[in-house]
Parts: sequence; C-alpha cells; structure tokens
Amino acid sequence: MEIFRFILAALLIAGGLFVAIVACKGMFKFRFVLNRMHAAALCDTLSIMLVLMGLVVACGFNLVSLKLFLIIVFLWFASPVSSHLLALLEVTINEHLHEQCDMTEAKRLCKEKQVDLSEVKKDLAEEEKEAANGK
Amino acid sequence: MNLANAYHVLYIAAIIVLTLLLFFCLIRAIKGPEVTDRIVATNMMGTMIIMIICVLALMLDESYLLDVALIYAMISFLAVVVLTKVYTGVYKEKKQGGKK
Amino acid sequence: MSKPRKDYEELKSVRFRRFIQGEREISTEVSMEEFQRQMDKEHEEDERLTYNYLNRPNVEMDPQADAKRFAEITGMKRFHKVYVFMAFVLCICIIGLLIYNVAYMPNYGSADAPTNNEVSEKYLEDGQADTGVVNMVTGMILQYRAFDTFGETHVLFIATCAVMILLFLKGKDEENAPHDPELDPEPDMILQTVARFLVPLVMIFGIYILLNGHLSPGGGFSGGAVMGAGLILYNAAFGFTKTGRFFNEKVYDILKVGSLALYAMIITYCLFTGANDIASIVPLGKVGAILSSGLILPINILVGVEVACTMYAFYALFRKGGF
Repeated sequence: MEIFRFILAALLIAGGLFVAIVACKGMFKFRFVLNRMHAAALCDTLSIMLVLMGLVVACGFNLVSLKLFLIIVFLWFASPVSSHLLALLEVTINEHLHEQCDMTEAKRLCKEKQVDLSEVKKDLAEEEKEAANGK
Repeated sequence: MNLANAYHVLYIAAIIVLTLLLFFCLIRAIKGPEVTDRIVATNMMGTMIIMIICVLALMLDESYLLDVALIYAMISFLAVVVLTKVYTGVYKEKKQGGKK
Repeated sequence: MSKPRKDYEELKSVRFRRFIQGEREISTEVSMEEFQRQMDKEHEEDERLTYNYLNRPNVEMDPQADAKRFAEITGMKRFHKVYVFMAFVLCICIIGLLIYNVAYMPNYGSADAPTNNEVSEKYLEDGQADTGVVNMVTGMILQYRAFDTFGETHVLFIATCAVMILLFLKGKDEENAPHDPELDPEPDMILQTVARFLVPLVMIFGIYILLNGHLSPGGGFSGGAVMGAGLILYNAAFGFTKTGRFFNEKVYDILKVGSLALYAMIITYCLFTGANDIASIVPLGKVGAILSSGLILPINILVGVEVACTMYAFYALFRKGGF
C-alpha cells in the first residue's frame, strides 16, 4: 500500500520536473520575447501543480496538505494575471513588433510611424464630432 | 532499501534538478536583450524557489516553511504588478520627453 | 660644427631624448646652419599639423561612429572582453574562497559547536516557563530583549518621517506635481477582477502570521510586511482614488502614532514589572493557546500595524507624493 503511494508521488514529481526542464529549454530556444513568455507560463502553472500534487500524495491529507492546496490555488489565480500584464508591457514597449508578428493594418501603421493608437482614435472621434456639429 | 530512504533520495534529486534549472534561468535573466525577458526569468526563478521550499518542508518535517513559500508567491506576484506599471510609465515619459 | 657642440650632440642621453620625442636623427658632420635649418623644418611641420587640427571645419559628427572607431583603434573592445572575463574569474575565485572557508565551520546544530554554551541553554530551559511562548525567538525579542525591539520600531517611525519630509507634496503644486499617475497604464479589468479575490486572501494571511507570533515563526514584523503588501496590491489594481476612501492621511496618522504610543505605554509598564520580582497583572495563560504569553500578543499586533503603515507609506510617497 505504501509502495503505491511512493510510486504515485515519484511519478507526479518526475512529471513536474520534466515540464520544468521543457520550459527552461523553451526559454533558450525561441527568438522572440512573447514566445519565451509562453514557455515560462508553462512552468508557473503546470509544473508547480504536478510537483505539489506529488507532495500532497506523499504526506497524506492533513493540515500540511491543506497549506499546499492553498499555495496551488493562489498561484493558479496569480500567474495568468502576471503573464497578461507582462504581455501588455511587451506590446507597449516593443517598437519592432510589426516585424515579429501579425498585426491588424491600423496597428501596424501606428507602430511603424511610432504613433499611439489611442491618441489616433481620440483625434478621429473629435473630427467626427466636429463634422456632425458642422452639419 | 526502505521507504524512508527512497523518499529522501527522491527529494534530493528534485532539489538538485531544480537548482540546475534555477542557474539556467539566471543566465537568461542576464542575457535577455529586453526588459520583459528579465522580469519573466525572475518570475520563473521565484516559482522554482517555491517548489524547492515545499520539498524542503517535507524533507525536514517542518510545516512552517510552507508559510514562507506562500509569502514568496505573494511577493513575486506583487513585484510583477508594480514593475510593469513603473516600466510603462518610464517608457511613456521617455516618449513625451523626446517629442517635446 | 664646433667641437663642444659636436660632443654635446653625440651624447647618448641627448640622442635618446631625441629618439623619445620622435625627432629624426640628424648627422653631426654638417655645418651649424644646415643643422639649424633641418631642426626648424621639423618644428615647422609640427606647427602646421597643430594649426590644421585646431582650425579644422566644424562638421556634425556622429558620436556613436566616432566612439566605435576610437574603440577599434585603441583596442578598447579587446580590453572590454578581457575585462569581463577577468571579472567573471574573480567572482568565481571569491565565491570559491568563501565556500572553502565555510566548510571549516562546525556543522549546523552540532552539539559541540562553540555557540552551544550555558547562555543559550538557560534561555531554552527557562524560556517557556518565564514567557509562556512556544516560539523561543519571539520570547527573546519581545520579552528578554524588549527594549531592542522598541528601538527598532522607533527606527521605522523615524525613517518614514524622514521620507515624508523629503517627498510629501501638499495641495495643488503645479510645478512639482508628479506625473507618475498620469503615465500609468489604464486600469486593467483582469487585474481588478482577480484582485477582488486575492487582496482579502493576502490580508487574512497577514493577520494569521501576526496572531501566531508566539506559536510558530512569524510575529509582528513579517505579518505587518504581508499586510502592507496587500494594501499595495489593492492600490496597484484600483488606483489612488479608491484607496483614499479608506486609507487617507488622517487614518494613517492615527494608526501610526497611536500604535507607537500604545507600544510605549506597554513597555513602560514592563519596565517596572520586568525585574525585582514585581508581578505583572497580565497572566501568562496556557502554553500553546492563542491568548497566552501575557503582553506579547498586543505588542505583536501594534508592531504589525506600524510596519504595514510604513510599507504602504513608502510606496505611496514614492509614487504620488501623498496619500
């Protein structure tokens, strides 16, 4: 009985470490920042869940495993938000994004001319208002 | 070998593998040409450290180390949130300064 | 040439000095006028080059291309690579030296280490009976060495006062207004939705660490730091206006000064009951329960509130110059 628990825990921890190795390899293999972020998000969610589930199996269901569940819940809420914010930062800061991935025509032109898209939209809205008032 | 030894070997192997991966992430944090690279690598290093602390908590049979791991998770999330705000502000300020 | 002059010009030191200064070697068999003429010609060449350099046309130069050419000509790039490599090697050597040094220390927690003497034994044996705590570290810093902790809390207070003096902006100051909040990204729906769930979790975890100071590692300082982190997360997700509804300057003043004043009153009471066998009216309680160990629990709460206010104050002062 105990040996099954050990084998299950070892399998889960080994799976988690394998995912972490794959994520680390992905950090070095890709060329662009957004691809590397995709690989890092793998480690933040799947790898830590498998490892911590292995530890939960290894130590039985008591207060310690409740704390481990709490860590998993917190990380599964917080890590995707981190990835979202970092992707937002990258899209704002990167000036050569139109060469690296597909963008809509308007966004591509704005990136090439280094103009802010929200300002262009505001100018367009003002022009439309003036035209409607003029009529 | 008995079961306690096997668990011990499993935990030590996990810690060694995670430490090696930590070192590689550090290389990416130093090398990364963009700012975002470095924040991503640091976040990943934080997650690996959380895994190491949890394994240590079971290895040494001290349950208060899990509190430390949870604090680490909170602080690394908070660091990403505040850093992205600050860097966006810095970039926009540079653009405004350049235009004026 | 006359003989004294010829002897002078053929001295090894004079010829060496001429060689260092880059002047050509002129034979001494010629007459004096010819000699002077050749020296004048060399100096004239030098003066012409200097005049051309000082009056060169003022063209718009590219400093980066100039710097690159300079680096290539003088070998700076090679030097930079060698420098980086040597810095790396030096760091590895220092790390190796320190690890080699640590290997000589006694093992962690071994019985014959020099730190296991009668001082720590006395505290470990009598600590639980004297103070009523399970976590001996909290007993040390809040009972046996209570004045040191009191001083530390004062240091936090003074640090925040100093930062406020330097960075606090009152009212509508048009010139010195910080433009950090204008340059922030727009409020993010995803972050706000998640923050509604996560901020209460962080605050409850901070309060848990605070209240368990005497039972497991934690206490006032770490619990206060986590609560401050919760406040910062709320501020980063929702902005300064919404945070100002429940945490503005008045609340901050009351919390900070009030907690430090109460702490001072409790410590004054402990000053009289700590020695000379004067009993304190607060009972020690059962070991291991939450409400135990006398006055340590109130002190932990006050220190936690103080530290949380400090953390949030630093963040707000550096971002906005106010609350």
